[in-house]
Amino acid sequence: MLRATVKSLLARKLRLVLTALAIVLGVGFTAGTFVLTDTALKSFDDLFGQVYANTDVVVQAHQAFNPTEGGGGGGGGGQELNPIPERLLPSVRAVPGVRFAEGSVQSFAQIVDPATGKTIQSGGAPTIGSSWSPDLSPFTLEPGGAPPVGPHEVVIDAGTAGDHHLTVGQQVRVVTPAASDEYTISGFVRFGSSNSLLGASFAIFDLPTAQRLFQREGTFDFIYVQGDGSSTPEQLAARIAGVLPHGFDAITGTSAASQQQDQVNQGLGFLRTGLLVFGFVALFVGAFIIFNTFNIVVTQRSRELALFRALGAMRRQVMTSVLVEAAVVGLVASVIGVLVGIVLAIGLKALVAAVGLKLPPTALVIAPRTVLVSLVLGTTITVAAAVSPARRASRVAPIEALRESTAPSSSIRRRVIVGTLVTVVGVGSLAVGLFGGVSNAGYLVGLGAALTFVGVAMLSPLIARPIASTLGRPFRGRIAGKLGGENANRNPRRTASTAAALMIGLGLVTFVAVFAASLKSSVTAVLDRTLRSDLMLTASQFSPFSPQLARGLSSSPDFSAVSPLRQGAEAKVGSSTTFPVGIDPATITEVASIEMDAGSITGLSEPNTVAVSRTEADGKHLAVGGTLRMQFARTGSRRLTVVGIFEPNALLNDYAVSLGTYDANVAQQLDSTVFLKYATGVDQATARANLEALVARDYPSVEVNDQAQTKATYVKQVDQFFAIVYVLLILSVLISAFGIVNTLGLSIYERIRELGLLRAVGMSRRQVKRMIRVEAVIIAVLGALLGLVVGILFGWAMQRALSSVGIDRLAIPFAQLVFMLIVAALIGLLAAIWPARRAAKLNVLEAISYE
Amino acid sequence: MSSTITKVAARTESLRKVYGEGDASVEALRGVTLEFAAAGFTAIMGPSGSGKSTLLHCLAGLDTPTEGHVFIGDVDITTLSERLLTQLRRDKIGFVFQAYNLIPTLTAGENITLPLDIAGRDVDRAWFDEVVDTTGLRDRLSHKPTELSGGQQQRVAGARALVSRPEIVFADEPTGNLDSRSSDELLTFLRGAVTDHGQTIVMVTHDARAASYADRAVFLGDGQVVDEMQAPTAERILDRLKSLEV
Repeated sequence: MLRATVKSLLARKLRLVLTALAIVLGVGFTAGTFVLTDTALKSFDDLFGQVYANTDVVVQAHQAFNPTEGGGGGGGGGQELNPIPERLLPSVRAVPGVRFAEGSVQSFAQIVDPATGKTIQSGGAPTIGSSWSPDLSPFTLEPGGAPPVGPHEVVIDAGTAGDHHLTVGQQVRVVTPAASDEYTISGFVRFGSSNSLLGASFAIFDLPTAQRLFQREGTFDFIYVQGDGSSTPEQLAARIAGVLPHGFDAITGTSAASQQQDQVNQGLGFLRTGLLVFGFVALFVGAFIIFNTFNIVVTQRSRELALFRALGAMRRQVMTSVLVEAAVVGLVASVIGVLVGIVLAIGLKALVAAVGLKLPPTALVIAPRTVLVSLVLGTTITVAAAVSPARRASRVAPIEALRESTAPSSSIRRRVIVGTLVTVVGVGSLAVGLFGGVSNAGYLVGLGAALTFVGVAMLSPLIARPIASTLGRPFRGRIAGKLGGENANRNPRRTASTAAALMIGLGLVTFVAVFAASLKSSVTAVLDRTLRSDLMLTASQFSPFSPQLARGLSSSPDFSAVSPLRQGAEAKVGSSTTFPVGIDPATITEVASIEMDAGSITGLSEPNTVAVSRTEADGKHLAVGGTLRMQFARTGSRRLTVVGIFEPNALLNDYAVSLGTYDANVAQQLDSTVFLKYATGVDQATARANLEALVARDYPSVEVNDQAQTKATYVKQVDQFFAIVYVLLILSVLISAFGIVNTLGLSIYERIRELGLLRAVGMSRRQVKRMIRVEAVIIAVLGALLGLVVGILFGWAMQRALSSVGIDRLAIPFAQLVFMLIVAALIGLLAAIWPARRAAKLNVLEAISYE
Repeated sequence: MSSTITKVAARTESLRKVYGEGDASVEALRGVTLEFAAAGFTAIMGPSGSGKSTLLHCLAGLDTPTEGHVFIGDVDITTLSERLLTQLRRDKIGFVFQAYNLIPTLTAGENITLPLDIAGRDVDRAWFDEVVDTTGLRDRLSHKPTELSGGQQQRVAGARALVSRPEIVFADEPTGNLDSRSSDELLTFLRGAVTDHGQTIVMVTHDARAASYADRAVFLGDGQVVDEMQAPTAERILDRLKSLEV
């Protein structure tokens, strides 16, 4: 039996290749994701190891919790730390066993590209400013450069310098919290062996200059210590901790490195999960194709299988033979998939770099786990998808060997019952995940979506015939089109399950399109409702900027209201993470209409107060006059009095505090947005022109936008993000296209006599090709229609689930969906190319005498 | 060969067909020269391996001869391109095969008009009705092939072969899968097409009774024409075949 299996595999090499391709791509993407993230982790591991190579102990302010990477939204490294008074340095230096101890400050520093006049920022990477440490520098100076000395010199990272063609000795403008000024580049640095740290830009000044520019006069953010080798870093840290006042910690360089590594791990964890989702979707689509192929093959081989049975093979042996075939295909495909994944990792790295996450160069890390998980996943999915076809194969009766007949198929009633059941469970799980407020919502939503797709796929043969007939109608005028339409209709189950593979990919595309459109529509509507300001100042990529700008403008006669808004620092309420917003209660109502449910926003002018969104207040049972505990990384737990409850809006997240309260608890005291209102009687065009000139000179990263521009910018950002999602979904669509190729190829093989007859009675090759193309287009459009329906429903469910957080409008982008249908038809045409060519090339004589 | 002045619908000139190369080559046809008179019904007979199917395939433009020429009307089809050959099959030739003659997704009526639909030509309704009436399948036109008996299916195939008024119809063992009653129905139908409508038919068969419906029987043996017989009867054919096989 096993020999027969292997023979049957080899006899159909082409089918094998096409089937395997579906698994190869899915496994490849999954393996690629693992390789990419492992490689990134490894390179950061190396990097932090090198950065802290000279540092045995780090002194820093005590943190209530370790904020996640990226929480800072750019700027000064995202550290939420109290400053260390300079006077602690001598006492640290005096600790026995200390060789060097140096203070260091960090903040944001935006380098302006002399060529364009624009702030240098690659993607969302931070723009970091740092002080130079002569003895313990984590940076390595490149040959030909010198450390920064005095108030007019800066050192820049080699990555940024290389990308923007900066040279030593060149004058470059750098924007820091305290100033926007020109500096002379004295040298370039690298980090260990890497030119760039995650694509971040670095501007490094000598310590006094950095302290002045970062507004850290008399203080440090860190003190770096190197021991003389007489004691272990742990002993040294303990000794240093002994001389530090309350609120400051001394930790070893190794644990400082691992703390940073943890932050990176978390960030990469999100990336890994995000990418794996697309890999799993691809495998899921692949499973459909496996299922379909094996089903068709079992049908075609039913006489052969019956012969085995007639010769005495047990049912179990027949089933095993099909499953073994699947296992072999799955394993081979997975092995190739892992290899493809390694190549793909390089491509993914480029994709990730395109969104600004430049990874340090390291050899690719191929962990045993990657290989194992990929092989097991690919093989298991292939075998699982072949179980149902294998069971069908085992039910072929020996008598079929003597009859002209096809393999038995399960009853339609059972299919309806099971299909409905699966759909109901899927939709239920989706609903619980979205609306139930349960903890593992993500898994439930994923499982629900997958089950819904399977259920709809099971039910789709019921509607495939009428829909395919309708779709075929425009082609009926000519015989080739008519025959193509009839062929699509001939086996609704096969057509439906081939279409189902495409349904998944296009369903998710539709879902994303509906969700993105709803998001854009809701947010722009909220902006319309909320914003009363004439102009908004924002920095590119939401990176915050110096409060000097707002301070300067508040005395300008051009504007009647200048209202800054700060956000980005992570805080915790209970166990949940939130990003409180700092606002100026005196001016916020002039630039925004904030609907209050209870209390007032002006109540925030009292210290230690907070305003809460209605959804959050409902969820946490908060009322005006009550108190809540908010934990800040820098200052720890604070008791805040609730002074107002507001309707959710686009500006204030869940919690709003005054700028005073914000600054008292958050280290990074930078504005993320400034709202402006023109004074009455001012020539607005002139006022804006003056403002733009000022901003261009001193704050090159800041953009001046009116309301329409703000909306347009927002829409553009959403589009950019979802463009990446679409790119990742293309993989699944591609795999389902292979499914169409496969089904058509197998169908042609099955209809070889018929094709021979058609050719014999005078059908031209062109007509044969057209016939196959029509069938392919009908299958593809059927899949797209199913996907459209499911995707719109998913999008609607998601919008309903998120309506409480402001996505309160459902928008269905009809033009985009019509475009998708057209693309689906094109996919059908593309998928038909090879089968059509094959059918047209058939030798007529061989085809008609084919037994 | 026949020296009549009747029009010739098709003819072959020193037709040779060799399969394979070198030592493994098989010469299926060894110089066959034949004429098929218009409005005549010819049966090609011979034992298995005599080359009768190869001859039919070459005549119908489904296979290319190694040497020699095939003329359908005045056209030498051995010189035609694949595209022109397809058009010729579509417009000038009708086919009835042993089995699998019909497209399962089309109704009987649609199967009959298939060559015309492929050509994009209009159906001559009067002629269509006449052909359908001779098959006796009028009430079956909207049925799918799976709903028809084997004999009915073959008659649909016959009707399809006639409906485009081809110059010549080739039938390859058309009764091979039929019981004797269905065979008679089909052969009567084909005979009628020749007698009543002047259709030219060339039929390959190994069944003496089937061949007796023809005007003329041509005997092939070992790739060559070994004999022919005008107005054959089943008994005479059987006698002849016996002598051939000895």
